[in-house]
Amino acid sequence: MPTVAGRRSSLAVDPSAEIGVAATPRKGRLRSDNALTESPMRKSPRFCTQGSPNCLVKVNVEKCVKTLKNFSRSAQEKKLSENLLEKQIWDPRVDVGQLRAVKEALHVSTAPTTVVCREDEQNRISDFCKKCVQQEKAGSLYVCGCPGTGKSLSMEKVKEILVNWANEILGQSHPQKKPDRSSSCLQVLRNIYSQKQPPCTKMMLVIADELDYLITKDCAVLHDLFMLTTMPFSKCILLGIANAIDLADRFIPKLQSLNCKPMVITFRAYSKDQIITILQERLRELPYSVFQPQALELCARRVAAASGDMRKALSVCRSAIEMLEAERRDPISTLSLSLLEKIEDQRKPAACDTVKNQLNNMVRIDHVAAALSKTFKSPVVDTIQSLPQHQQVRFSRNIV
Amino acid sequence: MGCLNPAEQAKIILRSRISTPSFVFSFFSQSPDSNHSKLKYIISSSVTEACNNSVLLLGPRGCGKVAVLEIVLEELLKEHPDMISVIRLNGLLHCDNNCALKEIARQLCLEHHLMFSKMASYDDNSQFLLSMLRECGLAHKTIVFVLDEFDLFTQGKQRLLYSLLDAMQSITSQAVVVGVSCRLDADQLLEKRVRSRFSHRKLLFLPPSREDLQRLVEHILLLPTDSSLPNDYVAAFNAKLLNILADEKFKGIIDTLCYSDSSVGYLLRFLFSAICHMDMNSGFLSVENFKSALPSIQRQPKLEALKDCSVLELYILVCMKRLEVKELELCNFNSIMKEYKSIHDTFQTSDYYARNVCLRAFEHLLERALISFEDNKGHGQSTEFRPVKLLISWHELHQGLKSHRSCPVRSIFQKSKI
Repeated sequence: MPTVAGRRSSLAVDPSAEIGVAATPRKGRLRSDNALTESPMRKSPRFCTQGSPNCLVKVNVEKCVKTLKNFSRSAQEKKLSENLLEKQIWDPRVDVGQLRAVKEALHVSTAPTTVVCREDEQNRISDFCKKCVQQEKAGSLYVCGCPGTGKSLSMEKVKEILVNWANEILGQSHPQKKPDRSSSCLQVLRNIYSQKQPPCTKMMLVIADELDYLITKDCAVLHDLFMLTTMPFSKCILLGIANAIDLADRFIPKLQSLNCKPMVITFRAYSKDQIITILQERLRELPYSVFQPQALELCARRVAAASGDMRKALSVCRSAIEMLEAERRDPISTLSLSLLEKIEDQRKPAACDTVKNQLNNMVRIDHVAAALSKTFKSPVVDTIQSLPQHQQVRFSRNIV
Repeated sequence: MGCLNPAEQAKIILRSRISTPSFVFSFFSQSPDSNHSKLKYIISSSVTEACNNSVLLLGPRGCGKVAVLEIVLEELLKEHPDMISVIRLNGLLHCDNNCALKEIARQLCLEHHLMFSKMASYDDNSQFLLSMLRECGLAHKTIVFVLDEFDLFTQGKQRLLYSLLDAMQSITSQAVVVGVSCRLDADQLLEKRVRSRFSHRKLLFLPPSREDLQRLVEHILLLPTDSSLPNDYVAAFNAKLLNILADEKFKGIIDTLCYSDSSVGYLLRFLFSAICHMDMNSGFLSVENFKSALPSIQRQPKLEALKDCSVLELYILVCMKRLEVKELELCNFNSIMKEYKSIHDTFQTSDYYARNVCLRAFEHLLERALISFEDNKGHGQSTEFRPVKLLISWHELHQGLKSHRSCPVRSIFQKSKI
């Protein structure tokens, strides 16, 4: 039974790699020497005839391969495959820490150092805020978008940018950030903002995440919050984040009559290319290549078609890595290698043995296909198949 | 315990086995592809790699979701003592967000030997939860949240779920959220943003196949050879049991059981009942034990009600049936009395009762729910004029008449061509 101990016991560890275990994976280390000298385990292509999920996955893989074959090789793909050959080889059997590092890089909670694909929106928000601070005027901004499109993440980055900018350029005391949802001393704030204040007062930046939780029946809280920015001597910059596009129109129609509707910035759902870019950015920090380029593309296409949610893409990738890990532990119940070797031969006719070995250790299309089917499949079909006879008869009566 | 004969000891052993879910479901944990190993992998990887995870256990009732979860948690607590703390919530008890958060705070306080204050507000409790998550993350201690009846937490604003799953997104916390639900679409009930934060891992628990059921029965009923029972008794018991399991009649009984419900919980109730029927004199199980246990599991309430009916009540039911055969629109007490009289005239029976006695029997049938009024509107009218309908089928009535202990002149009923 695969347990935590299983990782240590079943892996073939050679003495030269033990040093590698202690070192952090970020150091540049030539694993190619190790991989070439030790003979990798060539698995016999044994079909698993029993388990229906594997057969289903095989069918899915064939379908995926057929669809991918029709796509012409784009420039991005060529670059991906070149990177594959350039980067060092990943061998999860030897270094347990590598696996952990990969999973950590792909975890949702790991904030990436650079936020890609959202530069445009971030620039717009930071320009708006900088303008407000420079003119010492109040303003409100509303950020909307589907879940998983990087709103909160971008806001964190914008916050940092603004703090750094204010410290550098203005040289004054930096604007304080108050991550409150609502002010508890509304009256005090109102009083402050209705009087003229000394010129060097700090501007207040309010970031309100999940704004729709503040919606009450009479929308009083939202009103008060946005009205703070309309007061004559207000120094408040309000950034609201929510999912609904028309929140400002529906719940605070009064603002339009006062002609101070918040600026709306929509974070659109990620497209396939953006998802690939983001995943690559996360994996770029690792010194070895983990995913086959086609596998990443399959994952990105599927997730972009479904919802464009980045969290889902990351979850699918982690699932695929776990499938690879399970395959390493239990080589009996895996898909046939011959099928994949056929694919590789058609795509890269000059593939040498070392490349093939590299590819055997990477996350392949079948892993990603299995992870995708696990994520997107509904459990209804399996349950109906396992219903007792009475219930199946009753069920079919309803359908007929 | 020494004064008990081996048969009684065996009975005690078997019954205690059936009542322990961990014994029963550990049978399913042996294959590497089972839900047990997948769940264990998910939770243990969170413990060792300090990453957050969330998983949903789905499946019909009685298929062992909570039992397998308990087995996994027990094993992990043994492997990593002091590194896991478990918080259990139930959707039936803690459906309100405030209530649930209070319960989380109380269990955390209990676990870490802190003083729990009942006067703490929602805000205080949520601050406490977040700071505890941070602290446990720093100390590399994983908190496992078990949410039973997960679908009931999705009613209302889902604040608790949002805050728990959002805490999974931060890098300082180390926690696993395990949801258990019998609704297959439990993750579709989540709001968009909560669903986005959920990691879409679902483990489906299904009732076992016919072959697995057979092997499970063997696993439960075969006596262990290393117990305090005499060896020859154990060997004889096991041999006889294997004979029974290979018997066609036994397989037929199990098939009948599986037609209506093939979950493990149902099978366990059946086995318990069968073991209670075990003959103490011989000390062995037999196929008759299983046969006699079957009706106590698959009960037929209408037939039992019919068996207790008096003869007059049976007459009334037969009259209603005849009226139905004649396709008369209206069927109320008066028309039944007319039919009753016509039967009495045709067949010259000796059972002719007065009208008020018949009315009493009619009311009794209404109370037993073997017949009922057609609609609930005519409360003003008396019982004699309101239309009634039968609540049992022809087949059930026929069986009831056949099995009635003192149904006179059955031939009359047969001649009236029911």
